[in-house]
Amino acid sequence: MTATSTPAATPLMDRLISRTVQKHRPLSVHFDLTYRCNERCVHCYLDHDDHGELTTAECLKVLEDLARSGALFLTFSGGEIFLRPDLYEILAAARRLHFDISLKSNALLVTPERAARLREFGVRRVQISVYSDIPAVHDAITKVPGSLERTLAAIPILIEHGLQVKLACPLMQENLMAYRGVMALAEKLGVPYILDLTITPMMDGSSGPLEHRASVSSLLPVLRDPLLHACKPQPAAQAASAAEAPRLALGSAVSSGIESAAYEDLPCSAGHNSCYISPYGDVFPCVQLPQAAGNLRREKFEDIWYHAPHLERLRAIRESQLPICSQCDLRGYCERCPGLALMEGGDLLGAYERACALAEEKARLAGVADPISALHRQPSSALVQTTAKGEFASLAADSSSD
Amino acid sequence: MSTPATATWQKNPALAWREIDDETVIISPNDSVMHELNDTGSFLWKNIDGKKSAVELAELLAENYEVTPDIALSDTQALLEEMSSRKLVVTVPAAGGVSP
Repeated sequence: MTATSTPAATPLMDRLISRTVQKHRPLSVHFDLTYRCNERCVHCYLDHDDHGELTTAECLKVLEDLARSGALFLTFSGGEIFLRPDLYEILAAARRLHFDISLKSNALLVTPERAARLREFGVRRVQISVYSDIPAVHDAITKVPGSLERTLAAIPILIEHGLQVKLACPLMQENLMAYRGVMALAEKLGVPYILDLTITPMMDGSSGPLEHRASVSSLLPVLRDPLLHACKPQPAAQAASAAEAPRLALGSAVSSGIESAAYEDLPCSAGHNSCYISPYGDVFPCVQLPQAAGNLRREKFEDIWYHAPHLERLRAIRESQLPICSQCDLRGYCERCPGLALMEGGDLLGAYERACALAEEKARLAGVADPISALHRQPSSALVQTTAKGEFASLAADSSSD
Repeated sequence: MSTPATATWQKNPALAWREIDDETVIISPNDSVMHELNDTGSFLWKNIDGKKSAVELAELLAENYEVTPDIALSDTQALLEEMSSRKLVVTVPAAGGVSP
């Protein structure tokens, strides 16, 4: 589940998503510059040691490749990006290449001087992790005493320098009931927020972070909260359509587009018009789908993006063909993630317990009588597929050899 | 008040933009508003380089698309004015630099 206060996909964004999905253009790229971090969040899925990050020159070459491939939305993240001593050099290159630049940070290292430089390099938005408005709760998650105070002190600095700030609050056992405080904090600051129940395994597949995940039963008060249902995304401005004469379609607010109807029968955007790049140059469909399609130290981005077998197989998947989920009556309540289906259920095409249990609870809350997901409706032996299972098996085999 | 057809234009350097399959998406970071140019608009956008005027841009448009010079100039000026009102392009003063 995610609850968000940001705008829904606009008609212009829908059109852009449709075009880029149809032609497999890499519209959005999430680029982690480092896994090193100055916090040690209990739920983090990363190994914070440096195993050989891309050099500055390698990062700049990646950016040139991405620009040439048509990437527009670029999110730099980590780890903590301010631990890269060449951050400004990388941002300057991104600006020269006309990317729309967003950052994800814990903001501990933000100063007025650094905020000014971010603005100078054209950064549009900074997403900041805030786990609670209560210092003891936030700091217990980050394991850095005083971290909430420092993070919150950075937000007005960023705003004063013209940067948009968005709060991101992953919810877990340790801060489950803190979400209202984070929402109030966001409202007080005048910034959007996102609440996210997604806690993922480590990228190597180990399950340590899942120990912190809130149980489905403990989520019921959150799912029932009318305040969250009052925060539906607001429609953004309409845009004019382009005509034959030189035309400018104007005035659509930029949105994540993540819930765009333009994705139609696709499980998500991963590998269709978005991807993830690790600090070591590995290209993945998504940070939550850690099957490397190639490495930018050995191959050009375009060669990976357009020719990697992993991505080609991923692009062939349609929700309506999923062996279990296509038979499920609760699809409208489900937020199935292909990556989590792989990491938690062992099958990129399969159903997994967490998504099914959450869908059942959401359906029940919506008034559906005795909702049962397809996974729970049938004996497991009846769910075995042939062709689709084989397709996944090849993916898994490739993944394990990386 | 319309801008003289001989004034030269340049892109607002603060913008993010990308040409994707003959259409150009432009984002102004100040207000997070997205704009989109069709193929002929993208053609003009590519040629806005701080050196060309509306007249010169219109000549290029007429050379490359099936459109009369008069219509090309009229369309080009209309697009430039529209983009200027959105701060996507600015005129370049004769002495160089960006107009306020």
